[in-house]
Formats: sequence, C-alpha cells, structure tokens
Amino acid sequence: MFSRRHFLTRTVQGSSLLALGSVVPEFLANTARAAEKAKDTILVVIEMTGGNDGLNTVIPYGDDLYHKYRPTLGYKKDQVMRLNDHLGLNPGMRGGFQQMWDKGQLAVVQGVGYPNPDRSHFESMDIWQSADPRRSIQSGWLGRSVNELQGQGGFVPILHVGSGRQPLAVQGTPGGAVSINDRQNFKLELGGGTADQQKARRKLLEELATPDGKSDDILQFVRLRQLRTMTSVERLHELLAKQNLRQNTLFGEGGVYGPNSLPMQLQLVANLIISGFGTRIFYVSIDGFDTHARQADPHRKLLGQVADGILNLFNALKNGGHDKRVLVMTFSEFGRRVQENGSNGTDHGAASSLFVAGPALKGGIVGEHPSLKDLDSGDLKHAIDFRRIYATLLDNWLQCDSKAVLGSKFEHVDALKPQKA
Amino acid sequence: MAVLTLPSLDTLDPKREWQAWQPDATQPWNRKWASHLYRRAAFGANLDELRMAEKRGVQSTLDLLLQGETGCDDLLPALLTAGQYTAASDQAAELRGWWLYCMLRSGHPLREKLTLFWHNHFATSIAKVHSALEMFQQNKLLREHALGRFGPFLLAISKDAAMLHWLDSNSNIKGKPNENYAREIMELFSLGVGNYTEKDIREAARAFTGWHTDSDGTGFEFNPRLHDDGAKTVLRQTGDWNGDDVVRILLQQPAAATFLVRKLYRFYVSETYNPSDRFLEPLAESFRKSDYDIAALVRRILSSRHFFSEYAFHQRIKSPVEFVLGAVRSVYREYGAKEKRQQPLTQQDLVRHIDAMGQVLFSPPNVKGWRGAQAWLNTATMLARDNFAQLLAMGTLWNNGRLPGGDDIEDEAVAHEVPAPTKPAAPPRPSDRPEEPAPAQAFDSARVVHEERASTAKDIVRVLLDLYLPGGVRPDAEARLIAFVAEGNPKGAALNRRVRETVHALLTMPEYQLA
Repeated sequence: MFSRRHFLTRTVQGSSLLALGSVVPEFLANTARAAEKAKDTILVVIEMTGGNDGLNTVIPYGDDLYHKYRPTLGYKKDQVMRLNDHLGLNPGMRGGFQQMWDKGQLAVVQGVGYPNPDRSHFESMDIWQSADPRRSIQSGWLGRSVNELQGQGGFVPILHVGSGRQPLAVQGTPGGAVSINDRQNFKLELGGGTADQQKARRKLLEELATPDGKSDDILQFVRLRQLRTMTSVERLHELLAKQNLRQNTLFGEGGVYGPNSLPMQLQLVANLIISGFGTRIFYVSIDGFDTHARQADPHRKLLGQVADGILNLFNALKNGGHDKRVLVMTFSEFGRRVQENGSNGTDHGAASSLFVAGPALKGGIVGEHPSLKDLDSGDLKHAIDFRRIYATLLDNWLQCDSKAVLGSKFEHVDALKPQKA
Repeated sequence: MAVLTLPSLDTLDPKREWQAWQPDATQPWNRKWASHLYRRAAFGANLDELRMAEKRGVQSTLDLLLQGETGCDDLLPALLTAGQYTAASDQAAELRGWWLYCMLRSGHPLREKLTLFWHNHFATSIAKVHSALEMFQQNKLLREHALGRFGPFLLAISKDAAMLHWLDSNSNIKGKPNENYAREIMELFSLGVGNYTEKDIREAARAFTGWHTDSDGTGFEFNPRLHDDGAKTVLRQTGDWNGDDVVRILLQQPAAATFLVRKLYRFYVSETYNPSDRFLEPLAESFRKSDYDIAALVRRILSSRHFFSEYAFHQRIKSPVEFVLGAVRSVYREYGAKEKRQQPLTQQDLVRHIDAMGQVLFSPPNVKGWRGAQAWLNTATMLARDNFAQLLAMGTLWNNGRLPGGDDIEDEAVAHEVPAPTKPAAPPRPSDRPEEPAPAQAFDSARVVHEERASTAKDIVRVLLDLYLPGGVRPDAEARLIAFVAEGNPKGAALNRRVRETVHALLTMPEYQLA
C-alpha cells in the first residue's frame, strides 16, 4: 500500500517545496502529520440537486389529504415501501433501503428546512451549503469544518467526486478542496525528455506558483490552487489507476449504472476509503430533481439511484470493517409544492425530508411528518432546522466543534447520534 | 510586482470613475492596457494586434473592437449558414467547434464575447433541450441582440424555442400554471433576488400561459385557448397581462438596470470587487435613459477610467474559453493562403480541452450559468489547463501540427535568422536532442523569439512576457524564467525546445490564469 510517508518522499522531498521553508502553505505542512489510518470517522454528503419532492419521497400514504393534493402523482399503500401504518418511502428506494431500514441503519428525518424559506434554487442551495440563511457567509460548512477537525485526514481532508463545478459546501479550506472524477487520469504532462529534464520543468512550474506569503488576493488564490494541484496529482494518479482496474458497472432499480452515475461515484468513494486515502469528508451530487413536469418515472429512478448507491457503498465498505466508521447524509435545497401542478410535476416548495444512513446509527423516523392541513402558502412547514442535523454530525460524528463552524450552538437531534463510533 | 492595497470602492467618486479615460504620462496607453482591453473585450490579442493597438491608441482600438473588422458584416451570413448546417447534424461537439470558429475568425470578437456573456445570462442547456438546431437558433438570437436593446431582447428570448423547452413553458397553461419561466425571468434574467415577491412569480406565470412552441417545436406560437385572460397583479400593476406586459413591467423597475449593469461589471471589470448600487448608478442611470442600449453601456464601461485601473487589471479569472483561445491566439500565426508555411487552425481540436476545463458550451450546469471566478479552478480543471498548456506550447496539440517527416527541418529554417554564435556550439548532449520533430512554424511557440531576433536568455524571456503577460510578473519569477532558459546554454534545436518549455511554464503561471 502507498503510505502517506511514501507520498511525502516521492512528492514533497522530490520537489522544490522543502527548500521553500516558511512559505510552504499550511496544507502541505499538514501532509507531514500522518493521521492514524483507518480509525477516523468519515462523512459522505450527497447533494440531490434541483429540489427533491420530499412529499413523494417520504410518503404519508395514510393521509387522505395527500391523495387529494397528488391526484396523479400520489403513491398508494400497496406501492410504497412501508415504514409504519402511516408513512412509506418511494417505491424506487425499496431495493436499496428496505434491508438497511430493517437493520436499523437508516434514519428518515422529516420536516427539515429553515425559517423564511427561499424558493430560488441558487439562493436556497447556497443557504444549505453555507449553513447561513442570512447569506452573509461566503464559504461552505464542510470547508470550514476542516479547520476544526482533529485528524485532518492527510493531504486531502475533503474530496469532491464529480465532473461538475466544485460545490460551495466544500469551499473555505486552506488550499482548496480537491475534485476528482473517474474520467481523469491525473497525470501532469511534462512534455517528454529525460527524467532530469522533467524534474527541472516540474520544479520551475512549482516555483512559479509559489505563494508570496504577503497577499491575500485573487492571485494568491490561484497560486495556492495551482500548487495544491501539482502536489496532489501523483498520489491521485496512482489511486485512480488502481480504480480503473476494478472498474465495473453496477445494477439496481434504476437500471445499469455507468461511469459518473451516483452509485459509481459512491463506489469510487468506497474504494478510496478502503485504500486508506485518509479523506474525512466526501461530497457527491446527483442532479435532476427539478421535476416541474411528468415527474413520476424519472423521480422514482433518481431515488432508486440514491438508495442503491448508498446500499452498495456500505456493502463495499464491509470489506475491512470500514462501514462502521462512515455515515451518509443526503440533502436537497428545498422540497416541492404540496399541490401537484398541471404538468404532472411539482413547483418549488419549502420543507422536505432527508436521510442519514450507516451501521453506526440507531435509525428510525425522526420528527413528525409536516401537516398537510397547516401549510405556508401551499408549502410544508419545517419543524427541524437543517443546522441541527449539521451540528449533531459535526459534534458527535466528526468530533469537531459545531459552534466554530456554524457560528452558534444548535440543539442536537438525539436520534442521529451514532450508537457506536 | 508590489502588493497593492487599493482603497475600497466606496471611497471613490463614481462619476469620475465612469468618465472616459485619457492616457497621460503617469498612465500611458501601452501594451499592458492594450492586452487588458483585448482580454476583456475579445479573446486576447495576437502580436500583430497588440502592436497595432499600441499605435492606434485607445479610442481607435475601442472603435475597431465595437464595430468589428472591415467585412465582418458580410462574413456573418456565411458563418450562420455554416452554423445551420452544423446544427442539422445534431452533433453538439461540432456546434461547439463552430462557435469557437466564430470567436476566432468572425472578425468581430467583441460581439462573440458578448454572445458568450448572454449565453451565460440566459443559460440554456442542450442536456434538456435535446436539439442542436434549437440551441443554434438561440445562439443566433443572442448574437443578433448582443449589442442591441435589452427590451426587445428579453421579449425575443421569452419566445425562443430552446428557452420554452428549457423552462417548461409548454406545460404552462390556464388553470395549471407552471412557474419555472416566470421565476427565472425575474430572478436571473432581469431583476435579481429581493426585487419581487413569490406572489409576483405566481401572477406572472399566469400571464405567460399559452406561450408555447409551435407544431414544429422550433418556433413560437401563442395559444389563446390555453391563456389565462383574467386580471393579474405583477409588481403592483394590475391588468389582463400577457408575457409582453410582464417584460414591459419588469423593465420599468429601476432594479433591472442596476442588476444588468452589475452583471456586466463582473464580466468586464472585476470579480473581486463587489460595487454598491451607488457606485454603479451613473451607468445604470444612462442605461435606463438610453432605453437599455447595450452597445452604449459596453462602450462606456470599456472606455472608463475605472476599467483602465488596478481595480480591474487581473481582477478576473479567465474562463476556459478565454484561457484556451487567448493562448492559441498568442501561439498561432496565420500566413497567406498560398504560403507553404500556412496551416489551418482546426478549432474542433480545442473543444474537448475546453470541456475538460469545465465549460461545455451549450451545456451550462443550470439556468444560473457557470458560477465563474474561483469556481473555475479545482484540481481537475487546473490540471486540464496545465496539460493543455503543455500540448499547445510544445506544438503537439494539433493533428496537423507537424511537418510530414520533417525532423528538425523547422529548426534549421529558423536557425539562420539567429545571430551566429560567437563561439562554435558544443556537440549536443543526447538529452538536448529533441525526440519529437519540431512543430510546423505556424504552431511553433518558439517562432516569436526568432521573429523578434532575441538571442540572450534575458531578451527571450522579455519577448515572451511581452506577448503572454504584458504588465509584469514578480521580478523573482522573471529571474527564475531567465535562469531556466539559460541553463546549459542551449543552442539551435535545443534552444527552440527550451523556449517552448518556457512558454508551457508561462501558460501555467497563476498570473496567466487571470484575465
């Protein structure tokens, strides 16, 4: 196995960085502090992009009002994956979630939101990702948490898997978060020549990107980002080269999952965890939840991908007992209007539901299903502020001070406290 | 370069900042500002354009950029016909290549740059529209209105087939409104968050009911049977409104001009400074008074003192399109059609690189467009830039970038232009021998050094910096580059290779990522 020390010898000592002394940024200094492998807890966050229809995810099938508001989209008692006499999950999630639910590895959190909900995708997504409904903080809650982590997880404390832009949630760490996807081979091309020539060129590139230690401007940002890239590509290249050998396709409710699908991205996360990569926080996303029209089929398949992907992740992690140190949290920027629209779809709404999953959890239903009688201009009202869930996971799972990350204390959600860490 | 800490924007006099800049002895018009203007208004300048701009002066350069080169109006119909054919093939990548061709060769890069701005403003993706033809039609519409008036533009985009599909307008019908377009036209296209209510959205959605695509699915059709002709109240105005009325009411809001000016500020001036409404008011006021004349606004911004100041210089991160086209325009040289050295620029080769850097044209991530600024750079996209820089600088990017079987022909051809060495060259060490044939002259990043007759390491670095990064880099970086060129005192083919390696390094420099 490729150890952190090995990485250091190969990448840092081999380059000009050691000679730079005081200007070596903090994130590289952290590289040298080897964290204890395979012991730290890990959080995987899944963004469900577009505003997931919470009412057709966690379904109050026993409520007549539900069927009144959802004449074409509503699921009947015999269709849902039943949780109890009143609630069930979207049938697309049965394949992935039934067995996790039965084993008590799934927490279904209902009525999640925040005061004065914003129904703009972008504003609300930023609110969830910055954890600041007033919109004055420009960094991400996960990015900020890295500064508070005890074991920072080696040279890449936080990793975004995906080919899209880097989410706000992971921003705000020194040196920036790392993004990877399985299409890239992560090789810095140095244009041939002898090993010595390549070394000289690499040294030049790194020196030209060296921060000057004085400024804090856009140029300094780019320098740090460039240096981070050049110092992490080799390790990523090795790891991903191994991934490709193991690459296969997965099957599930949503059909065959190809490269870049959520289940495959979660498989990559599993492989990285198993290989001792050291990252504490992973971020993946799945788009397509903005279901304004003809939503039934695509929505069910998307939820199928989420549930299948999570089940597969934990199955893969059982290899070596890593599943017990991983929790998954899903979220979406908002739920959707209670009344379906004229296009067999739903428009932007407010409160919604989310899932927390993992064997370390007690599991069960958390919170009351929001009332369908007492709506806020056609939308569900929230009972649980999403920052309470963040705070619970930060304090009790990642063991980092939630107040430092979120700006104030939030009451924990007891049901989400891990039973065995 | 010294670290500049500039006073906050609030301390500046907005009126003065937006006055036209007059170069003087303390801040002359020079290559730094000419290349700044070309980076922002167009897709960078090649060496000839930089020289020409320095001679013509700022006003005349701006005129050229705003009007386009002589003959560009005649070229446009042919470009559009080519686009129409390309779109008919329904290959999105081909359509991307076609647009890059327009950016590089239409003779009106400012118009194409602004078309790219509007593509990001009215961000529509082929991922949902599923039709290259509709995306092409929308692109044509964006270009037509790019320098026109915003009112007719906003109305036209509200009837554009790709937009109607993108934001679900066909399912917006009387009694069952779909709010998607009504929300985005307020939030993202005209007013910005905070300048309307949820109720305004619901009412405006009713006004747009019946605005659908026609039976072909590629044109607009008003369907009166599915239109809600009841009274609606949008932004405090009540009447039997339709979509035209909503557009009119939106543009009566003072917030509209401020919103658009702010977006153009970010595009043309700076991503790092966040100006107050007060600071933008002189621009917003004249934009309103001009009935939203976009060309006049763009001219005012690009000729202002503020634009030619350190508040703007290097205060943006290049988008992938800006990065790639700018670098290509600096490296490539076009010769006469009959000249043997002439090599066509195959823009299609650039598409996959720009995609890998995170800007898939015709496929923005969502209706808000690419987030831009710092979000352009993560490990994956940064590496894509670094590796593209390597391919371009070493001349291995192009399929046709090499002379057939031309081992070192090129190096011999340019070698005679170099002043004769004062002492006999040492026999090349094995490692100095390039293992790749030299790139064709048109694609050779080492060419400029010979054209400029630079022979010492210091002169070579000066020539390269004047082309790629005029306005300067840190003195220690310059010294480091000179040392790299001089190392081992390379000559002939080895020197050419060293120059290409230096260009690669320059293109990866953090400064070069800034626009």
